[in-house]
Amino acid sequence: MAALNYVGSRRGKLLFAAGVYLALTALTVAFLFPLVWIVGLSLKTRLQVFANPPLFLWWPTLENYVAVFGRADFLQAFINSLLVSSGAVTLSLCVGVPAAYAFARFAFFGRSFLFFGLLAMRMLPPIAVLVPMYVLFSKIGLTTTRSSVILAYTTFSLPLVVWIMRGFFEDLPRELEESAWVDGASRYQAFVHVVLPLIRPGLVAASILCLQLAWNDFLFSAVLTNNATRTLPVLMAAFSGGDTGVDWGGMTASGVLVILPVIVFSFLAQRHLVAGLSSGAVKG
Amino acid sequence: MGGATTTVHAGLATATPARMPMHGRWLDRQFVKLAVLPTTVLMLCVFGLPLLFSCFLSFRGWAPELGLFDGKFVGTGNYEDLLTDPDFMGSIRLTLIYTAATVSAELICGLGIALLLNIDLPYIAIFRTLLIVPMMITPVVAAFCWKLLLDPDHGVINYWIGEHVVWLGRPETALFAVALVAVWQSAPYVAILLLAGLRSLPHEPMEAARIDGASVWQMFRHITIPLLRPYIMVAVLLRTIFEFRAFDNIYVLTGGGPANSTMTLSQFTYLASFVRFDLSLGAAASWLMLLMSMVLCVVFMSTVRRRDAN
Repeated sequence: MAALNYVGSRRGKLLFAAGVYLALTALTVAFLFPLVWIVGLSLKTRLQVFANPPLFLWWPTLENYVAVFGRADFLQAFINSLLVSSGAVTLSLCVGVPAAYAFARFAFFGRSFLFFGLLAMRMLPPIAVLVPMYVLFSKIGLTTTRSSVILAYTTFSLPLVVWIMRGFFEDLPRELEESAWVDGASRYQAFVHVVLPLIRPGLVAASILCLQLAWNDFLFSAVLTNNATRTLPVLMAAFSGGDTGVDWGGMTASGVLVILPVIVFSFLAQRHLVAGLSSGAVKG
Repeated sequence: MGGATTTVHAGLATATPARMPMHGRWLDRQFVKLAVLPTTVLMLCVFGLPLLFSCFLSFRGWAPELGLFDGKFVGTGNYEDLLTDPDFMGSIRLTLIYTAATVSAELICGLGIALLLNIDLPYIAIFRTLLIVPMMITPVVAAFCWKLLLDPDHGVINYWIGEHVVWLGRPETALFAVALVAVWQSAPYVAILLLAGLRSLPHEPMEAARIDGASVWQMFRHITIPLLRPYIMVAVLLRTIFEFRAFDNIYVLTGGGPANSTMTLSQFTYLASFVRFDLSLGAAASWLMLLMSMVLCVVFMSTVRRRDAN
């Protein structure tokens, strides 16, 4: 922020600023190009996709999107993704928010056990949980169901909820509940009627972050679902599994439709994105 | 923390006896236990028990048609198989190389971007917003985008360089491609993390150095980097933990090939468990992987603790 002060003359400052803008523009173009190109492909007809040399200017068509919305497997996967992500978020919030409150306010037996457990859940490789989970779930007939995916997703969304919400609870003045307790409210009443309404922004941030992680997950749902219950990333991987085939327009259009909701959501929660994903290591 | 709340609780109990019937107070005392109970149960069900079972499984010869506990006891057979398997040992080596390469590239790119974004110029926030887009993209879709860009016949990258390079078909270029996708997605994340660090640095040391006539490079080298060190540590450790488990980009781009050149530990375990359905071997592989990442976690936690203590 201060670097500008160290450049001497007015001319030097202008040159410096121009250099910075130039570098940032180049970086932005480089980082966004793959995405822009893919969006471009999704707006091309099949002939245009494979044109040689590639077309940089053309009249965009929406036919690929129309075709994707007509596909039963895409719509089914979209619904599945929606169901399992929102299911995982709801379950994690219901279970994790009271625990986060306890973490922020009380000393209790097993506190450090729970702390390390949640940290391990977030940090250890998911495949290590997935192997036994698959065996256990298949024996109780839970594999290929959406519930199994929801349960599996809580391995990453639960720690995230507890971490984010703990931070929000800690920022809340303790006097609020204490005065409610003195007025005769039970801990439960104080939590539900005093604390929760004040913590609403935190709940929104935590849900968006969990929703994003759940929506983006591939490994768990690849193993735990079948063709009827698979989520969007699994369908996308099936599209591109072996050869990329010839339906580039259709594949890119569905890719764009998969990432559109997450990008919108992420911009809504931009402020909490990094703090949340670094799981308590950095205070937002 | 605990002391303060118990005092308040005691005060509450004596001050309002009429409104607090006996059973209500008992239930109230159980509040904390009830609040953490669901989390504890869920954690044990989806994490604790599976890991214990996986440890058990790794000492058995289990097959999908057998009952849960019916596998024959094979002692450390699965572990011995793995540790004498050149493919698995190669996969450990590859995972370490991949992790080191991606994390250092992410750190260098991330630091560069963060330093640029930290300069106080108008409209710089627009670049910040645009640059973080890649980190939001679903990893499978990101990998898939790159697969089309790198396509040997119709990919735009080959068109630009004017050569017919089969990026994903040759060991060296395949590893480079999967690493590139990871760096593309995660460098912005590192940048945002370090930018938060840069913004929180104190101004005084910089001012003092400037008055003493230090050059921009000297200030960067001897003031910014040392002060930023805790943030760099956190970024490196977080990225190490997440690159160590790399799976999505590799699955989509190469599936571990060609010739095992991108066979990371996650990919190896996935293939053993869910393609060859040797789940006992998969359990053993995942436990070895777990132990390795536990070492990383211990380093991570001690760093976080040291920061908390400061």
